[in-house]
Amino acid sequence: MNTDAENKKIGVFICHCGGNISDYVDVEKVRDVIKDEKGVVFAKTNMFSCSDAAQQEMIRAIKENGLDGIVIASCSPRLHLQTFRAMAERAGLNPYRYTQVNIREQCSWAHTHNRQAATEKAVRLVRSGVARTRLAIPLQEIRVDTTPGVLIIGAGAAGLRSAIALADMGLKVYLVERSPEPGGFIKGLGRLFPDDRDGEEMAHSLSKAAIEHENITLFTEAEVVEKGGSVGNFLIKVDIKGQNPASFNVGAIIVTIGFSPYTPKNGEFGYGIKGVITLPEYKKLLAKQKRGVEYAGKTVRSIVYIYCVGSRQSAGDDRYTYCSRYCCASAVHTAILAHKLDPHISQFHIYRDIRTYGKYELLYTRALEADSLFLKYDPDEPPTVEKTNEGLLVRVKDRLTGNEEIEIGADLVVLVTGMTPGKGGRLSGILKIPIGKDGFFTEIHPKLRPVETVMNGIFIAGTAQGPKTLSESVTSSLAAAAKAAGLLLKGHVDIEPLVAKADADICTWCGACVPACPFDAIRQVEIKDKKIAGINPAACKGCGACVPACPKRAIDIEGYTDAQIRSMISAMAREAK
Amino acid sequence: MQRLDIKFSKEIGSYDKFNAAQCFNCGTCTALCPMGINILPRILFRYVLMGMKDKLMENKDAIYSCLLCRMCEDNCPEGVRIAENIRVLRRYIGRHVYGL
Ligand code: SF4
Ligand code: SF4
Repeated sequence: MNTDAENKKIGVFICHCGGNISDYVDVEKVRDVIKDEKGVVFAKTNMFSCSDAAQQEMIRAIKENGLDGIVIASCSPRLHLQTFRAMAERAGLNPYRYTQVNIREQCSWAHTHNRQAATEKAVRLVRSGVARTRLAIPLQEIRVDTTPGVLIIGAGAAGLRSAIALADMGLKVYLVERSPEPGGFIKGLGRLFPDDRDGEEMAHSLSKAAIEHENITLFTEAEVVEKGGSVGNFLIKVDIKGQNPASFNVGAIIVTIGFSPYTPKNGEFGYGIKGVITLPEYKKLLAKQKRGVEYAGKTVRSIVYIYCVGSRQSAGDDRYTYCSRYCCASAVHTAILAHKLDPHISQFHIYRDIRTYGKYELLYTRALEADSLFLKYDPDEPPTVEKTNEGLLVRVKDRLTGNEEIEIGADLVVLVTGMTPGKGGRLSGILKIPIGKDGFFTEIHPKLRPVETVMNGIFIAGTAQGPKTLSESVTSSLAAAAKAAGLLLKGHVDIEPLVAKADADICTWCGACVPACPFDAIRQVEIKDKKIAGINPAACKGCGACVPACPKRAIDIEGYTDAQIRSMISAMAREAK
Repeated sequence: MQRLDIKFSKEIGSYDKFNAAQCFNCGTCTALCPMGINILPRILFRYVLMGMKDKLMENKDAIYSCLLCRMCEDNCPEGVRIAENIRVLRRYIGRHVYGL
């Protein structure tokens, strides 16, 4: 195979994508122009390049023509980069000598009104693809051996459940919990929706299973203080109260630090007045009662619930603009429990919108049947709570009767409070995983990569990611466990080789690249008695931030070298005709 | 300002089968009413549910204007027995206000 760019034999395949591309781009014309491009020895159009038949044909063309590189001008690489890399491999061609050019999203879909311009743009893009491919060198995926252990931070329901799942798969689990005991938020909350299972009992049985598991090491009153290494081999340091710090290696990390329940400010909906309590406080109260509802030694006959406290607020300093998802269903479920304790109790729910989505709508119906009355308030005119001689008095304008002004006497006012981010500020710095605008850890993609973070090997689950119900929390924690196990059970990970590389001859170890790297991938290394920048390929994301920082131009990104980018730009700048 | 008192709605509820708690205020009934009774039945029924007896009495005309045609009832997505509820209210008023 030729390595000299001048003699490279390149094949180009241009896709109709049914009519998705060819309706707006003259693909035959693109082929006619490209076939005379320097280095191109084969050019063809396909109706559907991704079809089996087309792939077979392309494999034959690669073999018969002894191609050194190929360009496929088709849809987005997000869709078919892997498809075509695998095809190249089957044809015996190094997959990194394949370039995908996107003439669907970038040409036909973007310029439906101008066929000629779309076609000219396609020509330029394909040319630049050819230019890049002529300079492409074969690359190998970087294989890293992995340590069969997982660090899980936070031993609530999500952390415990994923720990047990991973330990059952034979992986070693280190579970680090900040508080003195595992179990998390659900402890002491009484019965939980939708199945009335007791939170205390559930926390206890999960904790017991984790503590007794031979593959799980639990550290309580402990905090992760250091993380080194990268995917497959993280080195972790944990501080433990009253003990020596622990250090160990893991291959992956799952963050399940949970949330903090919103605490209303003094005076917010009467919080601070005796008899005005939050939903978690109320659930703890009910958990202790056998018959009837009692508060401070007195029988409760009337309860007012105020919804969306600490959620969906549009103004204020520490505003929480999102919906906390679990609170409507939890409040409605708790009202059903209260009705069972005392069928004569009056329960009023003052809400903005009831969001008992999915199966939880059944709970709403059951609450209605249990004589709960729902009143809707306008966020601009929220209800007020005050103390009078007769007890608590709630005033509200009911939108459902056309803003009738209403007073309700209450023995207990329950503020249905939402979720705020868990205390993970320091953790985000240690792990280098991003926090979103709501203050929770963010995944790469909510649908396609829902528990993965931008850091390879670090996953997030449960309410550390954002408000969730208990079952959604556990579901995501098991998804994270499956992801971590999928990574570690193989014993190694293969990482895309499109990463930064410093040229040992040019680098003078000035260190300018180190602070530029957002992923902490650059360290000083010594090669033949010379200090240079060593880039850890397992940590490097190939983002290129270090490249312009280097005053010596010592760094190149594999697959996107300066020479390749320059050749692409000049190819693109040429006249398209 | 109206004071809520569910005793009244419990009184009507036990007095006869008044069903309106399922109403989710979509307004289908109001839109279909051939008499164009705006308050009927959703707001009226809420007065009963919330125990706003005075408001109910202020609206006796509406309660007696209903044709019991059941146009609304046929189309109510929540299956509220609207016409039957109106009858319950008339019976209540007949007994408690007019002494019938
Ligand atoms: S900035 Fe360039 S020269 Fe300086 S250490 Fe990094 S790679 Fe070497
Ligand atoms: S149609 Fe039924 S649900 Fe809709 S407002 Fe009327 S009574 Fe309520």
